[in-house]
Amino acid sequence: MKILVINNDGGGFADYVDVADGTTVAQLFERQIGSTKPSHYLIRVNRQPCPADQVLCEGDRISITPTKIEGANS
Amino acid sequence: MLFLRDYGDTEVGGFGIAASDDLLFVEDIQLVKQVCSWAHVAFDDESVADFFDRQVDAERRPEQFARIWVHTHPGDCPRPSMTDEETFERVFGRADWAVMFILDCEGQSYARLRFNVGPCAEVEIPVGVDYSRPFSATEPDTWEQEYLANVHAEQLRRGMASTLEPVLASPFDEEPTDAWYESWFDYAAEEEEAEELIL
Repeated sequence: MKILVINNDGGGFADYVDVADGTTVAQLFERQIGSTKPSHYLIRVNRQPCPADQVLCEGDRISITPTKIEGANS
Repeated sequence: MLFLRDYGDTEVGGFGIAASDDLLFVEDIQLVKQVCSWAHVAFDDESVADFFDRQVDAERRPEQFARIWVHTHPGDCPRPSMTDEETFERVFGRADWAVMFILDCEGQSYARLRFNVGPCAEVEIPVGVDYSRPFSATEPDTWEQEYLANVHAEQLRRGMASTLEPVLASPFDEEPTDAWYESWFDYAAEEEEAEELIL
């Protein structure tokens, strides 16, 4: 099945990918991001926060976006 | 960027939107919801995710909208702080490349291009206005609306001067639930166990 994946790591990605039926959010995260801690990202499915074990469905949109973007004056 | 810097007394930050044919040519600055003070700016995570969704819907590639991090320093020094460096490393260190741009109150700017692939390198780059490209008219009313919709100043709580209470509500006030956190904590714990086994 096809799902839309959005993330900024590597070359950046915003495209449809094929995943096997039964793929969970955590499995897709590992495939796309690797070993980085998930706490560094906000992971949403169809624009809503999701549990790690949520099973993805055909046509889902999953975004993996950075968190805690902060700046400070010197 | 000058308008945003001068509109309020606080820092303000956003993302540079680059031209599709020149990724270092910034055509627009987009704000996300943020809590700011004179010395600090923190983006709202949910608003960053919404920004990514909107940009993808506009058929832009992540390298056009998520690589140039811009913010201001209300002081007279555009050099990055430790917080700036930590964010640049943690948030933008896994992208192939990224730029950190800082504008101070006196007009001085700082821009550093960082490559995270190949031999990896970082270099300060010059900043200028390219008048050879067409540009649209200024839109101060639109910019003002965008500023007011997104930039929220931290406010001191009466009687608790040391506690800063952001005006912006946390996106986690209602969601996610405890079960959401638990599932990710369990996942992280499993990952750590797996790493220990590998080591």
